[in-house]
Amino acid sequence: MIQFQSVTKRFGGIIALEDVTFSIAAGECHGLVGENGAGKSTLGKILAGNLRPDHGRVVLASGARVGMVHQELAFCPDLSVAENLCLGSLPRRGRYRVDWAAVRRCSEELLSQIGVTLDVWRPMRTLTTGQEQLVQIAAAVGTGANILVLDEPTSSLSEAEAHRLFALLERLRAQGVTLVYVSHRLPEVLRLCDRITVLRDGRYVATLDRAEATTDRLVQLMIGRSLAEYFPGHLDTPPGPVRLRVENLRSPGRFEGVSFAVRAGEIVGLAGLVGAGRSEVAQAIFGLDPHASGRVEVDGQPVRLGSVRAALRAGIGLVPEDRKRQGLVLPLSCRLNFSLAILDRLRRRGWLDQRAERAVATRLFEQLAVKTPSLETPVAALSGGNQQKVVLARWLARELKVLIVDEPTRGVDVGAKAAIHALLDELAGRGLAILLISSELPELLNLATRILVMREGRLVGELGREEATQERLLEWMAGVEVSAGRG
Amino acid sequence: MQRSARVAGRFQEAGLLLVVVLLGAFLAWASEPIHVGGRTVNNFLRLDNLIPNVATTMSWMAILAIGVTMVIVAGGIDISVGSIFGLAALGTAAVLQHFPEDAPAWWVVPVGVVVPLAIGLTCGLINGVLVTGLRVHPFIITLGTLSVFRGIALVSVPMKSVPAGDRTLPAAFTEQFISWQIYVEREGAMPLLLQPVPMIIMAVVLIAAWFFLGHTVAGRQIYAVGGNEEAARFAGLPVARIKVRVYALSGLLAGVAGMVSTGYFGSANTATGEGYELMVIAAAVVGGASLAGGRGTALGAVLGALVIKLIENGIFILRKLDLGFVTLSLSKEYSKIIIGTAIILAVTVDRLSERWRR
Repeated sequence: MIQFQSVTKRFGGIIALEDVTFSIAAGECHGLVGENGAGKSTLGKILAGNLRPDHGRVVLASGARVGMVHQELAFCPDLSVAENLCLGSLPRRGRYRVDWAAVRRCSEELLSQIGVTLDVWRPMRTLTTGQEQLVQIAAAVGTGANILVLDEPTSSLSEAEAHRLFALLERLRAQGVTLVYVSHRLPEVLRLCDRITVLRDGRYVATLDRAEATTDRLVQLMIGRSLAEYFPGHLDTPPGPVRLRVENLRSPGRFEGVSFAVRAGEIVGLAGLVGAGRSEVAQAIFGLDPHASGRVEVDGQPVRLGSVRAALRAGIGLVPEDRKRQGLVLPLSCRLNFSLAILDRLRRRGWLDQRAERAVATRLFEQLAVKTPSLETPVAALSGGNQQKVVLARWLARELKVLIVDEPTRGVDVGAKAAIHALLDELAGRGLAILLISSELPELLNLATRILVMREGRLVGELGREEATQERLLEWMAGVEVSAGRG
Repeated sequence: MQRSARVAGRFQEAGLLLVVVLLGAFLAWASEPIHVGGRTVNNFLRLDNLIPNVATTMSWMAILAIGVTMVIVAGGIDISVGSIFGLAALGTAAVLQHFPEDAPAWWVVPVGVVVPLAIGLTCGLINGVLVTGLRVHPFIITLGTLSVFRGIALVSVPMKSVPAGDRTLPAAFTEQFISWQIYVEREGAMPLLLQPVPMIIMAVVLIAAWFFLGHTVAGRQIYAVGGNEEAARFAGLPVARIKVRVYALSGLLAGVAGMVSTGYFGSANTATGEGYELMVIAAAVVGGASLAGGRGTALGAVLGALVIKLIENGIFILRKLDLGFVTLSLSKEYSKIIIGTAIILAVTVDRLSERWRR
């Protein structure tokens, strides 16, 4: 069905794909896995025709039509679902007038083909990410695509939405649609795919049948070495005095009555479903919420709320949830992104001391093993994991007392993830108070000293390391069967 | 490691320099030789064209373009600079006309400098405070103030042109300062008339802006805010203050330009600077500033202004352009068409070369 013949793609000096050759059979669900920056998304885009290979080619069986479901969703947000679905060829009455009845019929038909019902007159903007994805799939399948490329389709879906998506993909496969599933979420890939191809550093590594594939084996192929399970070292020393104290923090409409404390040397996890108010609490502590009230103390000293500068002076750092939107200035170089939070310290009689800036950047990039061609490379050219390391390096350049990390390993490959975990552990060992927000429960269970749980804007409980399990956390997060506790 | 980026940065302006050289070469090739004082010289490539008609008169446009470039780098836009420029020029003339013509320099020059700079800074601050305070798109705010500042100029002086017919501005501000002239004797040619002060002021502004944007904390913050305002906020930068600062600076530089213009011409009128905003934004964009923010340099702005001035001058010089297959007779009226086309072309080439570099 699909043959990749020594496909090579470069972006400037960076080799995204090199000499990739393998084939995908008709009707199978083929997983494409690899670390971030391994080239799997690039390969998907080449298959969908969004990018052209520099060398080599993609041979498709006759009659093959490729549709793509992106991470970045491609619709006009203010038009309705119906208009978006028919945008390529709006049905007309006469020469100029739109035939709205036909628009409705045609869009409903497209949706019903994949078993979805939606109010087609809703503006695209009001749809959830999951619903948008369904519309994308309907658009692709409806126009006759028999190959569907899905690039990280579950990255912003809720659990339930993801399950619905999987069911739909199973149905499509039964109808004979060939699926190419690009993801770094191995459990999903193992569950859905018949065969799995592993890429590493732009090169083809192996294709495994589902029967012979295990998480361990895939991880090993993806990173080229085996990964020992990680035991945090900060647990060896008992936590010190309270560094961060939050008392009765509230922000109208976001969260209410949040009180907790983090001691020096502790990593406190903050669990909760999307929308529970975790990031909002983090941003309020960091002074980004002008409506927040309550009390935040660092080492016993109160911190003025609503002022990032006050938070910075108090020694608080925040690695935000959305790296590209909140963390990085994408057009600027790694060095400039790195130094954003220490600019005031690089001032030398009016000058910006760029020599010192380079020296600090070089030292910290080495320490964090940031993989970049140079300090002057635009940060947008780096892989997700390395981008996150740049954000972390930014905070390591200040003397921090409290570090809040919000989803620090989202969209980050396995190797960088382990490095970031080790770094957080080391920072805690150095006496920082760390607040770790994560939607990945194994990350919390593995790393945190204890875990706080938020639900609907309130803190509903706290679990020690020994008593915390995925099941209990999920129960508390979702608010079912709340067992004994503060909730 | 760092060298590659510096070369890349230099390359960007080197591309612009190449455009300037090519444009100059074309104009030198296309312009007819003329006879002056028994010598035959190239009508374009002669110092008494290049210095007074290009370098001197581009000064205030370049100063304006540097200011607007800062705003554009910060992710904003300032289309009111033409009006601020006009208001500052007119204000300066209106104040100075009350001084006796032979008033001493220590009295006239400080007034002639402070008045336009104060007017420019005030207007710029108003823009900045409105943009950050009302959270309305800067295009709309400065479209409004473009009209308001121009209106203030119209209502504040009773006559169209200042100084009024029978008066002149004090010589200490004009002939002895900004339009100060020197004659350079040349062998076998007419003496060269030099009015260096506007160019010197432009050079000083360029160096100051280069230093500010590239080598100070405040300059760096402008790139960060323009590149991603939210990330700048998450890194603890005072975003509102930074934005007010760039509009204030743009206004201040429009004031400087107004000062230069009034001193050079010895007068100002209510239409001074009308339509300048388009030329100035064009110069900034041709100079490599990205309207999306985060990109642009002071040197680029000056080179952009130079490109536009060269095109203007070329139309003035050439009159008739023989391309072999067709002969165009050019008049000043064509300049808008040609400049507009050149802007689109320049930016397209820039974007293409960027894609090619990747």
